[in-house]
Amino acid sequence: MGKIQMFEKPLGMRDSFPEVNEQKEYIRSTARNFIRNKGYDFIKTPSVEYFETIGKASAIDESSLFKLVDNQGETLVLRPDMTTPIARIAASKLLKEKNPLRLAYYANVFRAQQREGGRPAEFEQLGLELIGDFSAYGDSEIIHTAVELVKELGVESFRITIGHAGLLTAFLTNNTNTVQQVDALRQLLVEKNFVGFEQELDNLGLLQEQKENLTKLIDYTIDFKVFENFRAYLTNEQQYLINQLEQFKRLLELQLKDPSIVSFDFSLASHMSYYTGMLFEIYAAGSGFPIGNGGRYDELFKQFDEQVGATGFGIRVDRLLEVLPKRDVEEKHTLLLFTEGAYLKANVLAEARRNNAERVTLQYIESVHDLDVYKQSFDEVLIVSEGGSLRE
Amino acid sequence: MNELTIAMPKGRIFEEAYELFVEAGFDLPKEINDSRKLIVEAPEERIQFILAKPMDVPVYVEHGVADIGIAGKDVLLEQLRDVHELLDLHISNCYIATAGLPNTMMNEIAPRVATKYPTIATNFYKEKGEQVEIIELNGSIELAPMIGLADRIVDIVSTGQTLKENGLVEYEKIVDISSRLIVNPVSYRVKSERIRAFVAQLKNELIKR
Repeated sequence: MGKIQMFEKPLGMRDSFPEVNEQKEYIRSTARNFIRNKGYDFIKTPSVEYFETIGKASAIDESSLFKLVDNQGETLVLRPDMTTPIARIAASKLLKEKNPLRLAYYANVFRAQQREGGRPAEFEQLGLELIGDFSAYGDSEIIHTAVELVKELGVESFRITIGHAGLLTAFLTNNTNTVQQVDALRQLLVEKNFVGFEQELDNLGLLQEQKENLTKLIDYTIDFKVFENFRAYLTNEQQYLINQLEQFKRLLELQLKDPSIVSFDFSLASHMSYYTGMLFEIYAAGSGFPIGNGGRYDELFKQFDEQVGATGFGIRVDRLLEVLPKRDVEEKHTLLLFTEGAYLKANVLAEARRNNAERVTLQYIESVHDLDVYKQSFDEVLIVSEGGSLRE
Repeated sequence: MNELTIAMPKGRIFEEAYELFVEAGFDLPKEINDSRKLIVEAPEERIQFILAKPMDVPVYVEHGVADIGIAGKDVLLEQLRDVHELLDLHISNCYIATAGLPNTMMNEIAPRVATKYPTIATNFYKEKGEQVEIIELNGSIELAPMIGLADRIVDIVSTGQTLKENGLVEYEKIVDISSRLIVNPVSYRVKSERIRAFVAQLKNELIKR
């Protein structure tokens, strides 16, 4: 690596310039009002956590963590997600006061990038967690809230695909012989490498029937909409999964105004290894990457010695910005340039206008470097001198 | 029906893939090969083709400016992009292998490997537990052992003719390569019906072959 230039930032770090920053602020305040109305409380957590606790419990790959060492020699991490710190707070304190618990956040998270310096390594995430509820009502609430929130934020065209980590694990386990085989196949599904999946089926030495069953996951010969189809592939102990899913789907149909934006695909698998139940991804036209994802993650709480149900989702603000139509802000920004001796007069005038909900910049005229260029940043320019004010 | 944008690699793979599309029953313009255009429309099928460098196809697809792409498995293994790999098209079949001058061993003090595929080469030697220096070249890889730049090369082998003509022999086969149909993860959901129909039509033709 060459000498670091004075204007350079660490790999993947970005400045938010005023216009983008305003857009983010709009997203934050719109989402905040919406989510609070649904009964969720916003919280903040530290940017830095212990590697031993949050770093290890988080589903983010260790190679993506920013690590630091504190003055005691402990390894710290910049938080790579918000779900894990929230689980920590809920398990250690808040669940004892309120259960079920509804928490929300708008926070920056950090994930180191290995490739292509332009990808953000720090980005804002907006999300919520419903903790302490095992029921399908909780799952339905999360999907419904995600749909309504994305709409409220102004995304016009989007889809949600729902899978089920428990059902997928059951299906894979029933048709393979070892845990390693399940993991290998699941990893290929996470990558959506269907070619590799089919090749792996040949390599694993499975029975013909097992191979045929597994192939059905990726070639859509089972209709994912009809959950009953899956009963035949599950053991008696696993039948409850279908009952849960049926209930979940009924609730969704009751709750969603337009059920066609959600679809089911049980080959959907996530690199977030703590999901145990339903999981989903949100795709919007205009971004090549999912704008958000979520699911049920009861497993995570076991790491904090709690046995509670939890479900939630997060939206990536940077990707959301990409798909949102550009918003024109209707506000007037006035420049008051004052000359020597007109300071008080200019102040009085500025105050009067600000009280009228106008943005006013007050500037001593002699300090301006290039008056013509400077004026272009404003909607209206007034020059205030001892003699009187002059509109440009 | 939504319009589909398909990123195609220029050159030989393009011709084979195009032929496959035509045989699968897609109504495509005939004159496509001769043109120097970078974007070609197939209005009857509502498909737009982007002609790109083979190494760049996964980039277009990952960022979603192309919904679908055709890319060699070599490029996918080298770049590890976030795209769905849906079909093996079984065209442009070849493999990646190590090669070098006949009856030679790796230099013990400074073993060097020249390649166009640094990631694939690095992973291969890492898994074998051999420490080697990887030298990235952009073409004419066969030169490297001939003039003493490297002991081995890691490169694509299709017929073995190029190796033979330059007096090199193959040592170890690393992985089989063929062209794959890749899809952007968001397109796969947002245009799911169109893409599934497209894949099914291609798959039908592939089964017949």
